[in-house]
Amino acid sequence: MVTRAEYAARHFGPGSADAGSPVVLTWREQWLVVRRGEDVIHTLRAVEVEPAAKGFNNAQLALEWFADEVRHMLILDGPVALAFRQACPPALQHRLQPVAAAQQSTERRFRWGIVVLAFLALLPLAALGLAIAFADPLAAWAVDRIPPGVEAKIGESVLAQTQAESKLITEGPAYEAVQAIGRRLAGGEENLRFFVADRPEVNAFAAPGGVVVIQAGLLRRADSPEEVAGVLAHEIAHVELRHGLRQMVKAAGVRMLFALVLGDYGQMAGWGAQLTELKFSRDAEREADARGLARLARAEIDPAGLGRFFAKLEATPSAGAALPAVLSTHPATAERMAALEAALAQMPPATIQPLAIDWAAVRAALGEPQT
Amino acid sequence: MAMDVVDYEVFGNEMQYVEVELDPGEAAVGEAGAMMYMQDGIEMDTVFGDGSAQQGGFFGKLMGAGKRLITGESLFTTVFHNEGNGKRRVAFAAPYPGKIVPLDLGDLGGTLICQKDAFLCAAKGVSLGIAFQKKIGVGLFGGEGFIMQKLDGDGLAFIHAGGTLKELALAPGQTLRVDTGCVVAFQPSVDFDIQFAGKIKTALFGGEGLFFAVLRGPGKVWLQSLPLSRMADRIVRASPAAGGRSREEGSMLGGLALGGLLGGGSDE
Repeated sequence: MVTRAEYAARHFGPGSADAGSPVVLTWREQWLVVRRGEDVIHTLRAVEVEPAAKGFNNAQLALEWFADEVRHMLILDGPVALAFRQACPPALQHRLQPVAAAQQSTERRFRWGIVVLAFLALLPLAALGLAIAFADPLAAWAVDRIPPGVEAKIGESVLAQTQAESKLITEGPAYEAVQAIGRRLAGGEENLRFFVADRPEVNAFAAPGGVVVIQAGLLRRADSPEEVAGVLAHEIAHVELRHGLRQMVKAAGVRMLFALVLGDYGQMAGWGAQLTELKFSRDAEREADARGLARLARAEIDPAGLGRFFAKLEATPSAGAALPAVLSTHPATAERMAALEAALAQMPPATIQPLAIDWAAVRAALGEPQT
Repeated sequence: MAMDVVDYEVFGNEMQYVEVELDPGEAAVGEAGAMMYMQDGIEMDTVFGDGSAQQGGFFGKLMGAGKRLITGESLFTTVFHNEGNGKRRVAFAAPYPGKIVPLDLGDLGGTLICQKDAFLCAAKGVSLGIAFQKKIGVGLFGGEGFIMQKLDGDGLAFIHAGGTLKELALAPGQTLRVDTGCVVAFQPSVDFDIQFAGKIKTALFGGEGLFFAVLRGPGKVWLQSLPLSRMADRIVRASPAAGGRSREEGSMLGGLALGGLLGGGSDE
């Protein structure tokens, strides 16, 4: 007796369980014999059955036929179906081609779909990368479109924040001195306002909109009003050149993009708070230095004060103490110092009127920092 | 593959748990965190991967664990085996309101495709795998995502889903349109597809979404009446703490006067 290959399948139809009944298929020439256990329940001609791709992911092979107007179906699992296909008579074999094609196309479409979906998922990340790479020109573009009114509002909010964090000195020799220096520097520009914050750190900053804040610690460290004037002129230049605004837009934009991509909207608030800690690029510092010197010259103030003050801070032996805050945001690199000196040397000799301020009195009025 | 034959009993109505009885030496695998209690003599063992014994070597274990990571199951499976002398019981609880359904994989042809997270526990020897939904449209809009769970073996497995579970048998070619997200499990012989709701008006205002899931026989399917996400959505919407509105409590009049009167009156 010839042993014929047997294929496990499930039969659905009259007389079968709801979940299908296990049957065994064998080929006998052109006839497909369906056995359940030992009983032959169907004998079909190969041309009678209609093959189709079926089931989850089209991974199953279905053989369908009608007996007495009732639909029967045999389901063959993937690996079994493959062996079954190879053994079946030509009459059925050529009709199994479209089934294989359908199964392959499901696989192919799945692979392409995954590629497309992965691409779509990575698109926001790619956009983020591009935005970071082009952050500088984008920020510059955006800053050019910020109206002065918005700038003034940012200045107001920075001022309000400064007031909330520290007391403002609004009278006394130090206040008077800063106002006097400020008036000379402003030279009639009305949007510049000068404030003295009673804080021990050596720092000064200018916010968009012309709010210039100088901290008492800086006044204490300065040996002459010219040095203070130098620092103020430099800070004003940053505002004029909108460096701070540009950094803010850049930082906020990058953070906003991150928040958008990562879906974390809560972090968008409060980005303005870091204005006083902004670092500028070397180019921005050089630009601000040059512009600051020009302003000092216009105001007929000795322009050497700026370089002197930064050089002095840099040279101070900081015995374990942190660098003065103003230095951490305006690093006095050798390159920068050299550029400052070169610019000073190139400047035409200008008339210099010393600032008539009793600096000793200013420092005495400030007293020692409370620690 | 050696399957352990286990006896079981399901307790509870809407918040169910299943108690499995293990003969000495028998074991069951449970979804990590699903165990509710176990009697003396049951030893708990946490294995890397899915606990089915046939996977050999470190790499095989790593693959099993990777699959579990993708389906959202935890990386480790807990095996509960009876080291005692007599029959011992261990119980597994469903994580949210719904029904636990016992399935004999042997009767189903050895394989069942189910929604991920549907697996609760099984006799040791049932292996958990993942089945990628390879029809992109179904993966996107079918409500079950691209990753489904595959249970292989011929032992008893328990699946769990939200609300009431309905078992349906589809004849060859018979189709059933199902709300997306309600399909819990089906035999691999069942076609799982999607169908556009048909009319734009229905799609937009009918409240059933743009697509139906379509199941085409032959084979058995299990449907859930209340997907967890739907219930969670309702709970969040009704929770004042989460920004929802507490409508049911009503106003002073509605809540206290009317409700109190009606509630009190009916008691007398």
